[in-house]
Amino acid sequence: MLDQSKTNKITSDLLSHIRLNYAFKLWMGFLITSFLVCMYAYITQLDKGLAVTGLGDYVSWGMYISNFVFFVATSLIGMLISSVLGLSGAKWAAPLARIAEIIALAFAAVAGLVIVMDMGRPERLINVFLYGRIQSPITWDVTVVTCYVLISTLLLYIPLIPDMKYCYEKTDNTPKILKNIYKALSLNWIGSDEQKKILNKSVLILSILIIPVALGIHTVTSWLFASTSRTGWDSSIFGPYFVSGAFVSGCAAVIIAMNVYRSSYNLKDYITEMHFDKMAKLLVLVSLVYLYFNLNEYMVPGYKMKKFEAMHLHELFAGSHAILFWSVQVFGLIIPIILLLFKKMRKPSPMLIIALFVLLGAWFKRYIIVVPTMEHPFLPIQNVPFSFKVYTPTLTESLITLAPIILVLIIVTGLSKLFPIIPIQETIDHYEETK
Amino acid sequence: MFRKNIIIKITIAFIITAFFSLQLNAQRWDVPSNKKAKNSYIKFDNNTAKSGEEVYTKNCKSCHGDVGKANGNKTLNPQPPDLSSTLTQELTDGELFYILNTGRNAMPNFKNTLSEEDRWKVISYIRSFNKKYVQVLSKTDPSKSKLVKINMNFNAATNKMNLSVVANEASGPVVLKDAEVMLFVSRYFGKLQIDKTIRTDKDGNATFNFPKDLPGDSIGNLTIVAKVSDEIYGEIESQTKLTIGVPTDKPSLTAKRAIWNVLKLAPWWIIITYTSIVLIVGLFLVLIVRNLFRISKIGAQQ
Ligand code: HEC
Repeated sequence: MLDQSKTNKITSDLLSHIRLNYAFKLWMGFLITSFLVCMYAYITQLDKGLAVTGLGDYVSWGMYISNFVFFVATSLIGMLISSVLGLSGAKWAAPLARIAEIIALAFAAVAGLVIVMDMGRPERLINVFLYGRIQSPITWDVTVVTCYVLISTLLLYIPLIPDMKYCYEKTDNTPKILKNIYKALSLNWIGSDEQKKILNKSVLILSILIIPVALGIHTVTSWLFASTSRTGWDSSIFGPYFVSGAFVSGCAAVIIAMNVYRSSYNLKDYITEMHFDKMAKLLVLVSLVYLYFNLNEYMVPGYKMKKFEAMHLHELFAGSHAILFWSVQVFGLIIPIILLLFKKMRKPSPMLIIALFVLLGAWFKRYIIVVPTMEHPFLPIQNVPFSFKVYTPTLTESLITLAPIILVLIIVTGLSKLFPIIPIQETIDHYEETK
Repeated sequence: MFRKNIIIKITIAFIITAFFSLQLNAQRWDVPSNKKAKNSYIKFDNNTAKSGEEVYTKNCKSCHGDVGKANGNKTLNPQPPDLSSTLTQELTDGELFYILNTGRNAMPNFKNTLSEEDRWKVISYIRSFNKKYVQVLSKTDPSKSKLVKINMNFNAATNKMNLSVVANEASGPVVLKDAEVMLFVSRYFGKLQIDKTIRTDKDGNATFNFPKDLPGDSIGNLTIVAKVSDEIYGEIESQTKLTIGVPTDKPSLTAKRAIWNVLKLAPWWIIITYTSIVLIVGLFLVLIVRNLFRISKIGAQQ
């Protein structure tokens, strides 16, 4: 049996961040103010319609849809870390599982809102449910994202049940309703063998179930593009290409979150340099896979240069999108891979910077996938003003694009103030086993 | 010496270029005199100009821009002129009408896309930008076109369609001589012209070669449209249905289950795959929620 003092230390360490301090209030205040500013921009869009954006007849998918793809992509990491690594017995990842799951839930849930933001008449969303056709990948996407949000919620919540007991018993200064919520959420947990058995089995089922569903959300999102025959989207590897890219941005998001939580919540003993080292290696692995898919996606059509694709590819390789295209590939993928091969770079601070680059690159990569194709339809664009042919996002649109990103930060911060972000029970069990 | 030579060459080159570019700009319209004198039977006023503006916005603005603002499409060569310009306004109504009927270079012809009335109305709109313009009304009486009858006769043996055009004047029938006649068959999106545009003979007859292989509806019906335009009687259009096409009974593309069809006619494989996936995931979720209740119950019992 583990000595009581050790258990107590773990519990109090891991519960210590559940309190409202000055820094949190300041940060949350900042987030909420910025969010309100962005919401004001959204209200002008509700009032005037999509005319306030740079979208039009030709480029009808711009930053909003790029944002959506980015959100769905980043949410995939929950499946990789908490389920795939968990199932394969990689014990080191256990303390990161909840961080990954929180990121997954926040991004997946907000992704749905991003789609609504792309609608000039959001009240017509109801028509998707009234008149939607199950032949349409859009319907599949709505379905599978909903499933993923549900499963992610359960996968976040169920391992939390024993911890809820700790939250109820061991936190002080928490308001009474919060205590009651903890009590309700702990589902009368007493830690009996029978309860543990049911809990472990449920987590196992969800861990397996989430794999096809997570692959599904991003594959279906890629099909939104790949099922049309437009240059740049008409590709048979779009599913795995998107999924591998998703792991890249997800890993980067987790690394950033690890960094922030570790330093601001004093978790240096629980999120160690070993974790960063392993995450760095994971990021290199998924980035290499993604690089491989990039090679396929651009080299193969680039070698053939078929008539319509040639125009599109020239714009990417040497034309108006070239700077963005190559920056994304070089600074968001190739340089991070090379840097992370060095042991010195696999430390928290350098990794924070590298991960920020990777995440930024991942966002612009989605832009590069969505926008240039829209600018190159098969039928030539004729007799329209120049501004119709190229897409230039407006300020209002940029603010509206920022809103969901801020919302994710609010959710991620908020959840980490309500629940322990390192699983307490598992950490205790782990110490017991290794004692 | 050398320098002088160069200067002379440059000057010559300059003059030649200037000459040619002038040529391109000044290429005016060569309109036959009888067409040039044609006038509108519609009196131009604010109302006609207003309906003309609608026609203009839909059909002309994409190239010519807003009248008076010289903001037409600059990428075309020659550039579509601003129609309020003196050069354009100096053209007679008949010339404008002729330009609309024939087109040139990038300027399309509107003979078959706009009715005669709409063509005159858009001219009325163009004229509304010219304060000095005074209209000369045509002597044709538009109500006269109602007197005209077009008879269509199909000869199955020779595959010829014979048209006879007669105006039933109060004084007795008058045949329309030397009137322009066109024959069309209706199809999805517009009309298909049959044979060439011809003129009626001295007996008011016109004969067209009719193809044998036009697909009709399920029993071979074709909708035939004849268009006559005459100096005195104006434009007359007449339609009839004749069973002279090839019976075609293709099933509609939306008759069977297909990807592109409505929800009710979705392909079975999609319905089955989709619903079974949703059911399986749903079933597991129900199972998990049940487990949560079990956990709670065990704790409450002890
Ligand atoms: C596809 C582009 C296009 C459209 C649509 C178009 N035009 Fe034009 N139009 C032109 C061009 C180009 C010219 C010059 C042609 C030339 O000089 O060979 C022209 C010339 C003309 C002229 C002769 C003007 C002059 O001074 O020489 C008139 C009148 C005119 N258009 C009227 C119209 C009207 C009325 C419409 C709509 C019913 C229309 N156009 C639609 C392209 C267009």
